Amino acid sequence: MAGRAYDAAMNDDDIRLRNATYRLFVEMDRVPTVDDVAAAVGLQVDDAVLAWHRLAEAHAIVLEPGTDQLRMANPFSAVPTSHRVRVAGRWWFANCAWDAFGICAALHADGRIESTCPDCGERIDVEVHDQQPDDPSLVFHCGVPATSWWDDIVFT
Amino acid sequence: MSLFRSEEHVDRWRSDRVGGATVSVGLLCDLAHAWWGDRLDAAWRPRDRAQNQAILDDLGLVDDFWRLP
Repeated sequence: MAGRAYDAAMNDDDIRLRNATYRLFVEMDRVPTVDDVAAAVGLQVDDAVLAWHRLAEAHAIVLEPGTDQLRMANPFSAVPTSHRVRVAGRWWFANCAWDAFGICAALHADGRIESTCPDCGERIDVEVHDQQPDDPSLVFHCGVPATSWWDDIVFT
Repeated sequence: MSLFRSEEHVDRWRSDRVGGATVSVGLLCDLAHAWWGDRLDAAWRPRDRAQNQAILDDLGLVDDFWRLP
């Protein structure tokens, strides 16, 4: 999610690096490292590290606290979560239920979402076909108002 | 930000939790496509606040809960 006009902190080279990060995220069979992304765009690793941190400051990506490792390339999660999405034979992890549908959206593809109802603990499976879920009885609950989404994005 | 079986499940889970917003999964899907659909575009550029707010507004998410900072 992006709530504010953070783009002032990003320059065109940063955005190019961000776009390469996302491209590698879906092209590779693992989460890309900053070394991978630096090599892809022809940057020194130290410069790519600084750019990743500027992008994180601008909420364009999320890094693991205190590291140079990717945590989120929203809507994709770099770590396992309780929201899984299967698209074209590949499983992805999403950061939340919104992002799970966002993975189908970003990939412009149908998909199958697996999540868990926080109340009853039962698994929820929902298919997305032509941008529509196959079970309209489900609901989405957001506990954090938009003003606070980025206060703690992992919690949100 | 979670999926629930129904509004009854949300109500039971919330119990003493305050606030929050619940929408249909259909609206969530529409929101996700409007919000995330461009994220893998080769020429992606960041949206500004007004553009993000317009996505929410256009889907009827217009109360204070959905007001971006």
